[in-house]
Amino acid sequence: MSASLAPECNDVKERYDTCFLKWYSEKYLRNTATTDECEPLFRQYKTCLTKALKERGIDQMLEDAKADNKENDAEYMKPVG
Amino acid sequence: MRIFASQHEFAYSWEEVSTNNWRKYCAHNDKASHVLAVDTLSRSLDATTHILRTERLITCRQSMPQWVKRIMGSDDTSYVYEVSYVDAQAKRVTMCSQNMTWSELLQVQEKVVYTPSVEAEGHTRFEQSARIIALCGGWQKIKNSIEEISLERFRQNAAKGREGFERVLEISRQVFAQQREEARQQREGVAA
Repeated sequence: MSASLAPECNDVKERYDTCFLKWYSEKYLRNTATTDECEPLFRQYKTCLTKALKERGIDQMLEDAKADNKENDAEYMKPVG
Repeated sequence: MRIFASQHEFAYSWEEVSTNNWRKYCAHNDKASHVLAVDTLSRSLDATTHILRTERLITCRQSMPQWVKRIMGSDDTSYVYEVSYVDAQAKRVTMCSQNMTWSELLQVQEKVVYTPSVEAEGHTRFEQSARIIALCGGWQKIKNSIEEISLERFRQNAAKGREGFERVLEISRQVFAQQREEARQQREGVAA
């Protein structure tokens, strides 16, 4: 998997990515996943990342991009067929 | 405005493709050296539809012509915001991304869809489309040139992207086969 833009988050990111890939291929794709089991690890990674994004001044740019994405959510969150 | 559209078939199952899609920008992929980092911003599983929604931030660095740098500013680092939707029941991955950096000057919006191939079983169809619009005020000629350069760069990246992803899929399959073989040998070693 690739690195984080914040090197200080690389370790926790790698642990989360590993958990996610396993959950994704072994549970989610087999339609047996009921919850996101990697959520606790993600929260740790997210704490590190949020701080890094703020320090780099990227957080506002992200809020704007998210606002632009509302149409995609409306279209692709509906199940197909 | 410039439009880009392409299709491709990967000779790998939808499950393999959608799994390796998350690892596309890994160290094995030397075609993706322009991608410096990939960070997951959010991930949620819809309880009713089981659609997996993920937001990611992709950090890139690409060289560009001097005159473009003068107009856009000389920092080579750019950020892309991507939202993806995986519907495991319908077997469909949809990825929507847009540039964040220089977005007041140039808008590049990309959509990628992975679905099982209808032509060949065990294969995956890949459809990619993009819209490139130069928003900067100024002469139409400059806007056209910026759009053309962006389109050409997008096309090159798209071709590299497919090659790089093919390599990631190939390595992943080899590793998986090796792991299965080792597991089989262990079982037979124990049984013997």
